[in-house]
Amino acid sequence: MIKSIEEYLDLLKTELQGSDAATVQDALADAEGHLRDALANLREKQPLVSEEEALNYVIEQYGSPAETAAAYAEVERRTVPQLARENQNTESAVARFFGVYTDARAWGSVLYMLIAFVTGTFYFSWAVTGLATSISFALFIFGLPFALLFFLSVRGLALLEGRLVEGLLGVRMPRRPLFTQQNLKWLDRLKELAMDRHTWFSILYMFIQFVLGTVYFVLFTTILSLSLSFIAIPFIQEFLLIAPIQWTDEIRYSFPTWSYPLVVLGGVMLWTTFMNLARGIGQLHGRMAKAMLVTD
Amino acid sequence: MVDTSTLTKKFQKEMNAGIASLVLLSVLDNNRKPMYGYQIAKLLEEYSGDASFMKQGALYPVLHSLENSGLLESKVEPSVSGPPRRYYAITSEGRETVSIWQGVWKQMKSFVDKAIKGA
Repeated sequence: MIKSIEEYLDLLKTELQGSDAATVQDALADAEGHLRDALANLREKQPLVSEEEALNYVIEQYGSPAETAAAYAEVERRTVPQLARENQNTESAVARFFGVYTDARAWGSVLYMLIAFVTGTFYFSWAVTGLATSISFALFIFGLPFALLFFLSVRGLALLEGRLVEGLLGVRMPRRPLFTQQNLKWLDRLKELAMDRHTWFSILYMFIQFVLGTVYFVLFTTILSLSLSFIAIPFIQEFLLIAPIQWTDEIRYSFPTWSYPLVVLGGVMLWTTFMNLARGIGQLHGRMAKAMLVTD
Repeated sequence: MVDTSTLTKKFQKEMNAGIASLVLLSVLDNNRKPMYGYQIAKLLEEYSGDASFMKQGALYPVLHSLENSGLLESKVEPSVSGPPRRYYAITSEGRETVSIWQGVWKQMKSFVDKAIKGA
């Protein structure tokens, strides 16, 4: 006999073991919202029914943890293979190499690498400011509510980052905040957040994102400008009549005409390689984000 | 001996797999306003009367998968009591799709009815 909604959620979590972490989080949120609504509704209509009976009726309607887990697993089984199917193309290596231009995930990763520079800088400033002020305000009484606000903002930012990662990198992330227990006193909520390693991993992620964002941005701008320069060499030499490489005022170097196709090809290859690399980096980053931002 | 109740359950489950999507899309198509999961489940309970066709918990994964296919969209809004709620609304692709599906269902229904009656 299940005694509380929390117990139901625990059982559901056990049943869902092996499922995608984001699916688990969605399933728990769905169940919690529904059971609370249903229970409140039933208690209002039939106030004489005992809490336990009401809960059992509501669970009977919703489905046992095993039934619910099976329903999620079934839908997951039917929908997830789409990504797996995309990977199973048996094209030649060359086609796969250049096929990167038609892959939305590669473009998403490139865009993400650009955005990471902005978000990384913001996360870093936010985390440093939040941590520093929380710690220094801890001397005064209003340090604790301030820390609570900071932790809550970290949770919010982690969710936002999750949406960004899912949208651009195609890695499944949770759709909504994890529900914390209702009717907690704010001091207890602060304790709960501070004890949760999810909070600290999110803060760590905010620091890491700063470093990675900078590296991504440097990679992106360097390789883009190099590739474009190589591709533009014939135009620069033939139409603008400028020698592209200049050591000193006297010594300039221009490419021989026969090398134009090679130089342009080199530029195209460089950018295409970067696109392939970006797709890989995007997947790795997505996996890291999932490990750090999603509670299991 | 064949266990008819297990077989019936299996039959019900297999039928529900497709019908749940049609039912959820239709409900959201008929209701102009976005609805949250429990609201939809309540409405379906009214429709089904005493018979229970599927567990309410099984509706949610279907809602997620319809959202992933772009037939539904959703947003989270805080609720007065308890945790925030996810409201689902049908998209324009969803409306197009559901009208096609309803056509398919009508044809299917008359086909099955004929097969059952044998006429």
